[in-house]
Amino acid sequence: MRKSRLVLAPAVMLAVSALVLSGCAAAEETTPDADSTTDATEEVVEEAETYEVYALLPQGSDQAYGTFYVPAMEEAAAELGINLTITNSQYDGDKQASECEIAVAAKPDGIILWPAVGDAVRPCLEAAKAAGIPVTVTNSDLFDADKALSRGYSGPDTYGQGVSSAEIMCGLVGDADVSIIQLNGAAGNSTAIDRDNGFTDTVAANCANVTILQEESTDWTKATAQQVASEMITAQGLENIGGIYAADDSIAAGAIAALESRGVVAADYFITSIGNTFLGNPLVIAGSLDGTVFQSSSWDGENATRLMYAVLTGEIAEGDREVKFMPSVKVTADNAADADVAPEW
Amino acid sequence: MTNQTVIKVGSTATGFWGKLRTVLARRTEGRAVVLFAIIATVVTVSQPLVFTAYQVTLGRIALIGLVALGLTAVILMGELDLSVASTLAVSGVIAVTVANQTNMAIGVLAALAAGVLISLINAFFVAIIGINSFITTLGMLFALRGMAFVISDEAPVKLQNTDLGIAFGQPLLGPLTPRILIFFFIFIAIQIFVSRVKAGRELLAVGGNRQAAYDAGIPVKRRIFTGFIISGVVASIAGIINAVERTSADPTSGSTVLLASFAAAIIGGNYLKGGKGSIVGTLIGAASLGMLQVALTISGVQIPIQEIFIGGILLIAVITDPSSLRAVWGSISTTLQGIRNSLAK
Repeated sequence: MRKSRLVLAPAVMLAVSALVLSGCAAAEETTPDADSTTDATEEVVEEAETYEVYALLPQGSDQAYGTFYVPAMEEAAAELGINLTITNSQYDGDKQASECEIAVAAKPDGIILWPAVGDAVRPCLEAAKAAGIPVTVTNSDLFDADKALSRGYSGPDTYGQGVSSAEIMCGLVGDADVSIIQLNGAAGNSTAIDRDNGFTDTVAANCANVTILQEESTDWTKATAQQVASEMITAQGLENIGGIYAADDSIAAGAIAALESRGVVAADYFITSIGNTFLGNPLVIAGSLDGTVFQSSSWDGENATRLMYAVLTGEIAEGDREVKFMPSVKVTADNAADADVAPEW
Repeated sequence: MTNQTVIKVGSTATGFWGKLRTVLARRTEGRAVVLFAIIATVVTVSQPLVFTAYQVTLGRIALIGLVALGLTAVILMGELDLSVASTLAVSGVIAVTVANQTNMAIGVLAALAAGVLISLINAFFVAIIGINSFITTLGMLFALRGMAFVISDEAPVKLQNTDLGIAFGQPLLGPLTPRILIFFFIFIAIQIFVSRVKAGRELLAVGGNRQAAYDAGIPVKRRIFTGFIISGVVASIAGIINAVERTSADPTSGSTVLLASFAAAIIGGNYLKGGKGSIVGTLIGAASLGMLQVALTISGVQIPIQEIFIGGILLIAVITDPSSLRAVWGSISTTLQGIRNSLAK
């Protein structure tokens, strides 16, 4: 009997705490009403000037892109009078879902969502809608079926980036028959999937003379990309490979290192990627990388905040969905040194 | 004289303080309770939303704690199961893939069957072949992660019956969602099994002294199978819940689950060498960790800082273990004695 009590005690303790605290919650909810008669005018003015916004991100200062994305987002928020609470789910969809529940419970004025897993955000969007909290999306847009649950998207056209990278490749190859290997981003990641689709669709449509021998996923890092590329070169035979498509510049850098470790010159191959990062831009200037697509992390972070501000201030009408694509500028040897495409991350 | 001493000790043990001392000496959750109380106090003062939005906090505790409860059954035997996070991922993918082709019930059964099969393979290599559980389950971790990608075709698998998934995430009993109810049910079931059922109590004996357990006639190999089956099936259930609640099964799911589960078990006073610990401790550990994570998320504390907090709590949990304290005190005494001797010379 005593043991049974010991068993149930923690569960009962948590349950009782929950019930007691729910009473507190109810009490807290009534408090603002009681105080609403005092200084009502001042409160209205303050509310009009300041917004509480949750930004549910899958990365932050733990990744190169986030290191520049977050400060730009925070800077814009400070300018526009938005109090940002930023979370980082580390690309764990379950963790982001839990963070979304927390955000909805906090009843902010808005939620900025960068989906960790595109397929898994529907419950979050539904919960926000039920609570009357507007959601805008940043960096990776929602699937078509879910778009109606958000008020807008700002960020790169991830499919379009794949298209641009393929267009560079097709332009370089011309009419020659070339076989390439394709290194994608992390498996299951929506950006990786979109870029993959954009690239393969465009190659099939614009330059059918380019054959994709093999495609593999990476984890977006140079080290893994070098290893994967090396294995693909072994599998396909170096003599059969004429080019490489990499889903981002870190992957391209790894693939170039894998080629050079075989004693060949990377400039002799058709290589394109996406990002125009601190790693990729010098490779373009050096001629190892034929082309990449400019992506600005600071544009992304800043415009995520500005789009939410436009929603909160009524600039975007109720029921409308604003889409604001980041310009996808192709970066090749011709313009890689230009100031307007200077790398940011 | 000897008889008098025996009587004196006996009388103390039957008194209130004696009973309390005996109970406290037997329990391993003491430090976990103290940590829980400290965290709860700090959180109450700094972030009351953690309690006012208690259903969200309970959801986070269930998210961390469910896998940790099953894992504890293996830890009590002095073994490790590193494959729980991958079991979670592959189970979710199987559940949704099968459900999309048949119905949800068959999907759930298929995923649970996969969990049992994975556990049997783990236990076979550990108990029958005699391979270290760390190595066995590490291999299984990679194999299952790969399998999840293969089955899902390297992309999240969308649950076709989205309405079912959305409904599953809604409160079922008061504010409690099915996830929270299942979590409490599993906690009670495993606790009763470990504390009241002979086979369950034998898990502790196997972890405490395996040779003595053999000598006492305990079917050690069968108990190893039992522990791994509990761990695998609970991880499978967690995977099914995650997939259904998010309306999507992500092959990368559970990336942060493994470390959080071990952290909850360790904070709960479970000894990784086995023989000491409890399911109640794991519940308290998960509750402490869940509350802390929710509070830090609400505060907008970035992941690296959150990890410092959680690492600090883990460190406190480990170094305040009585045997560690005795070792530290012994070292200090020896050092001081050495200094005294040096000064005397």
